[in-house]
Amino acid sequence: MRDRVLPIAFGVVADSLRRKVLYIVLVFAALLAFAIPALPDYGLGVEAAVFREVALALAYVTALVLTLSLAANRVPSEVERRTVYNVVAKGVSRWEYLVGTWLGVVLVVGAGLAAFTVVEQIVGLVTYGEPMWRLWQGAFATWLEMGVIAAFAVAISAVAGPVVVVTASLAALFIGHARSTLLGGEGALGLQPFVPSLDAFNVVNPVAHGQGVPPLYLASMVVVFCGLAGVSLIVGGALFSRRDL
Amino acid sequence: MSDAVAPAILIEGARKAYKPIVGTPARDAVHDVTIRVAPGTIHGLLGPNGAGKTTTLKMLLGLVRPTAGTFSILGQDSTRPAGRRDVGFMPEQPYFPQHLTATQALRLYALLSGVPRAEIPGRIAALLERVGLSGRERTRLDAFSRGMLQRLGIAQALINDPRVVVLDEPASGLDPVGQRDVRNLMLSLRDAGVTVLLSSHQLSEVETVCDDVTIMNAGRVAAEGDLDDLLNVAGHTSIRARGLGEELPPAVAVHAGSVAASGGVWVFSVPDEAVRAVVDAIDDAGGAVVSVSPMRDSLEDYFARMLAETVTEGGAR
Repeated sequence: MRDRVLPIAFGVVADSLRRKVLYIVLVFAALLAFAIPALPDYGLGVEAAVFREVALALAYVTALVLTLSLAANRVPSEVERRTVYNVVAKGVSRWEYLVGTWLGVVLVVGAGLAAFTVVEQIVGLVTYGEPMWRLWQGAFATWLEMGVIAAFAVAISAVAGPVVVVTASLAALFIGHARSTLLGGEGALGLQPFVPSLDAFNVVNPVAHGQGVPPLYLASMVVVFCGLAGVSLIVGGALFSRRDL
Repeated sequence: MSDAVAPAILIEGARKAYKPIVGTPARDAVHDVTIRVAPGTIHGLLGPNGAGKTTTLKMLLGLVRPTAGTFSILGQDSTRPAGRRDVGFMPEQPYFPQHLTATQALRLYALLSGVPRAEIPGRIAALLERVGLSGRERTRLDAFSRGMLQRLGIAQALINDPRVVVLDEPASGLDPVGQRDVRNLMLSLRDAGVTVLLSSHQLSEVETVCDDVTIMNAGRVAAEGDLDDLLNVAGHTSIRARGLGEELPPAVAVHAGSVAASGGVWVFSVPDEAVRAVVDAIDDAGGAVVSVSPMRDSLEDYFARMLAETVTEGGAR
């Protein structure tokens, strides 16, 4: 399995690295990171905390754009261009193809987030004189959440085009972060266990304003990531296996 | 094909029905197709456009879900990934990730096929040489012509040294030299004991290399067996003659059918029992017999007749 999944993942990475969108998004985000200290909120006297909060938000949006741009069109375009024929006919399971594609997207988004976090650290160090290592905890949480979104997007893309994938992924993102709002009423509380929540990955407060995220909580995020991404990929694999290519 | 020999490829009762769009009837793209391919042979799959050839191959290789039927390659269920690991497939108009070089693409497919890493460079070099792409190892595929992509498609189909190869229109887009190379390649594969299932429109290609054929039309098997047996017109002989002037002698014309003349050479068919009399009549008229051979349909004529029969049957229904 590994021998088939990894070449597909590295193929996605190689293909992504030649795409201009990756670099445009990262450069644009880096420029915005340099502009954070110019925000008007800095009159409040909590400059470093506000910088971290905005930096996390910027990293989140950057990662989301990267994730959707890479994950939404990968499978549909390979099916349309028929490059998937050569892969599936070689005895690669369809779920292996999906997992490989997802893994490649996750690796690229991880690399992009890492590069962006380094830029944020440099800006933080130059502006406030502190390295802000806690930003890596935020980047890790964002990366895990994007892994879940990428899995969802890849699963939907097994049977739908990019527009549907992006719309569905954004809807999933909204629902995932609005469970308590959507089901906050007394009568609806019982439904909460059935609605997956992405709130586990929200570590803005401890990273920006607190003492960081405890290791046990980081580990629990990994569990949530494995569960949600795993379910999405299993469903995606089942959908893709039923599709005519 | 002897029943005692287990087929290398076995398709039994294959059916593919597409769900109807609201208001339209369901449509069978492939209906009750059975194909047996003996080991170490080249089997042609022929038919006009829309006959169901490619759909049948896709079902065999797990690209399309069959509605019914069983599919096996070398005794294993080929609709499952494990049943395709000893198979090479070249789709019609093979597509590759355009940003890769020829070597990178073949390396990717070698890894996916489970070729040991140590063997990959040697295999890639040998295959590129074999398909006439030596010197193009580092050329990006977006700079490849269609013919070069076709050659690379053959190379990727052979990268795992398969025992069964499925080729869908392998000579499409190739120049005459390239078509000859593909024919020779198929023959060398057969000599090495590889089973080849070839889907093609090109009669010359099929006639040259295939041991047996299956002819499909309108999603069904229309005929199968030896191509000579299928295309020979029973009871008629084809005669080519020259030196007969502007018109056939009356003793020849009375028997001749399907007459054509070009460049002073006459071609016509006669009933088998009239061959001796016609040859004598040509001699008497001062002409020369160029050839006498069993009369044979062209594949184009065969298809045309099949299509006409299909239309007639459809009208009768």
